[in-house]
Amino acid sequence: MTTEGPRFSEGTLAEYRALLTRYPQRRAALMPTLWLAQREFGWLSLPVMEYVATLMELPLAWVTSVASFYTMYWKEPKGRWHIQLCRNLPCALRGAGAIQVAVERRLGIGDGERTADGRFSLEEVECLASCGTAPVLQVNNTEYHENLTVARALELIERLASP
Amino acid sequence: MCLVDIEKSPKLQIACNTRVADGMVVHTTSEKTKAAQRAVLEFLLVNHPIDCPVCDQAGECKLQEYYMDYDRQRSRIPLPEKVHKKKAKPIGPLVILDQERCILCSRCVRFVDEVTHTSELAFYQRGDHVELDLAPGKVLDNPYSGNVVDICPVGTLTNRDFRFRARVWYLERTPSVCGACANGCNIEIYHREGRIFRFQPRKNSDVNQYWMCDAGRMSYRDLQGEGRLLNPFVRRGSEFVRATWESALGQVAGRLGDLARTHGPGAVGIIVSAQAANEEVFLLRRLAARLEARLAGIAWSPPDADHDDFLIKGDKNPNTRGLALQGLTSDAGEILTAAARGDLRALVLHRVDVTRWCDEIAARAALERVPCLVVLDGQQRETVEYADAVLPIASYAESEGTFTNHAGRVQRFQAAVVPPGEARPGWQVLGGLLALLTGEAAPPSAEMAFQALARESAAFRGLSYATLGETGAPAPLVS
Ligand code: SF4
Ligand code: SF4
Ligand code: FES
Repeated sequence: MTTEGPRFSEGTLAEYRALLTRYPQRRAALMPTLWLAQREFGWLSLPVMEYVATLMELPLAWVTSVASFYTMYWKEPKGRWHIQLCRNLPCALRGAGAIQVAVERRLGIGDGERTADGRFSLEEVECLASCGTAPVLQVNNTEYHENLTVARALELIERLASP
Repeated sequence: MCLVDIEKSPKLQIACNTRVADGMVVHTTSEKTKAAQRAVLEFLLVNHPIDCPVCDQAGECKLQEYYMDYDRQRSRIPLPEKVHKKKAKPIGPLVILDQERCILCSRCVRFVDEVTHTSELAFYQRGDHVELDLAPGKVLDNPYSGNVVDICPVGTLTNRDFRFRARVWYLERTPSVCGACANGCNIEIYHREGRIFRFQPRKNSDVNQYWMCDAGRMSYRDLQGEGRLLNPFVRRGSEFVRATWESALGQVAGRLGDLARTHGPGAVGIIVSAQAANEEVFLLRRLAARLEARLAGIAWSPPDADHDDFLIKGDKNPNTRGLALQGLTSDAGEILTAAARGDLRALVLHRVDVTRWCDEIAARAALERVPCLVVLDGQQRETVEYADAVLPIASYAESEGTFTNHAGRVQRFQAAVVPPGEARPGWQVLGGLLALLTGEAAPPSAEMAFQALARESAAFRGLSYATLGETGAPAPLVS
């Protein structure tokens, strides 16, 4: 394997090896491995996908094809904080539209865009499966913010914006 | 498209995955099935650009055929509202991709996964936006890439060489065998008005399944390029003059007969290459027997010839095994040495490029020294410069005959186009020479020459053009 370019850390490599034991064929471990890669490198650039293909000994076409199918595999860099706004019906009925307008205005970017300083990116997503606490947004892959109002959403943005 | 109406079953079932049962009654042409077929076709055509008039697949497109057979309705999606994708994108040396026409059947993907194991192709994106493509920066450049064009049912993958050169419905097809290596892949020659437009593989489970290699596919160009020999020539004094067949054959037969008679056994040498058909080899053997000549075979391939463990053989000759089965030895070098020493009165070269395929210095010495050189060939070669007589013969696309492949399978090829100029099939020329020398009748056809071979030689016994059929048969003596 080349010494240049992306490489998993020792810890992630250990996770990868553990993953392999869970599947009868290596190809089946591709999706969780891409997930590890996205966590490790932030997004799935072509060099990252090439690394995964080499690591897993799979054709590059299989790797890039799978990555292209799912929107949750990021094929372009996202912000430090990736804001995912639910755009489905229950959230919409509870005011998600106004929240989206406010957040977009505050950040100066729209759906699928990233701020120039790389701090924020925005993405409209389908139901986040928390309709009971609509409207909802998700930050990165870790935080849910529920029962939002425009004010609370903007407060959140300010908090994330401060270094 | 395989939805069928099964009695007592409330919904249509897919035929390809429904088990036959006792008493089952299946309707494939009921109104219900027809409606389903129409719906499936409409679905397949939702984003299709319907650009048949400028599509090279038109005339051999499954989608076009099924539309005419099962659909015949106007599209409900206006053209500007369809999802548009990339058109005319070259993806490799032989293949060009039009993503809009893809019906996403995945045949090509399976080919590169399961047959070549190169996996260059995959589907990208999803839903309406799915498209066939390669990983970024990659090309479809494996030795069998052309096959994806044949298996693509529509005009998504087309052949960059053949594209826009002819509408397929104007072309005729003739079954043949690829002559570009010892594998002998079964092919169809597509031609029109004496020109060959393409080779395509023809199914033969024992030889090439459904496939052929790209080098073989493109080898049709070698058969009709520049440099073909068009007319018989004979040397008269220091001049090389065009001759009629009758006079050229008469002069060659007369000269060879005289020399053999005057100088006895071994005065004439004959070298034949593994490019020659079994029938030609057989007639050359008869000729050698008549002239008491030394006869040798030669199977030359470039030293760096490609080969793999699938179809492509390192031996780039179609009939090496055929020479061996007729007992030809490969001591062409000895004949050349004898000629260079002045021990040979005449040398006959049949489809042999001795200056390239043998030791060049020895070959030139032989060609210069031998008093009578007869060249039977299709190609202009350096040997022609030394020749006393040149007899232009047809390529395998222009005549009938058989090759014996690496595994000892005897396979027929048939004349697809007429030979250029005055060139004649090799069997006919050799048969004519033999008739002049022996006074016996010449074989009236390649088939009769093969029959004589099968009668005489244990290796071919029992075979005939009829038993070979279109896919050939193993030579009986092959262990
Ligand atoms: S064979 Fe042709 S129609 Fe089928 S997936 Fe490949 S490109 Fe598309
Ligand atoms: S493998 Fe040999 S016989 Fe088959 S297509 Fe290629 S060159 Fe022709
Ligand atoms: S609709 Fe927004 S979480 Fe379900």
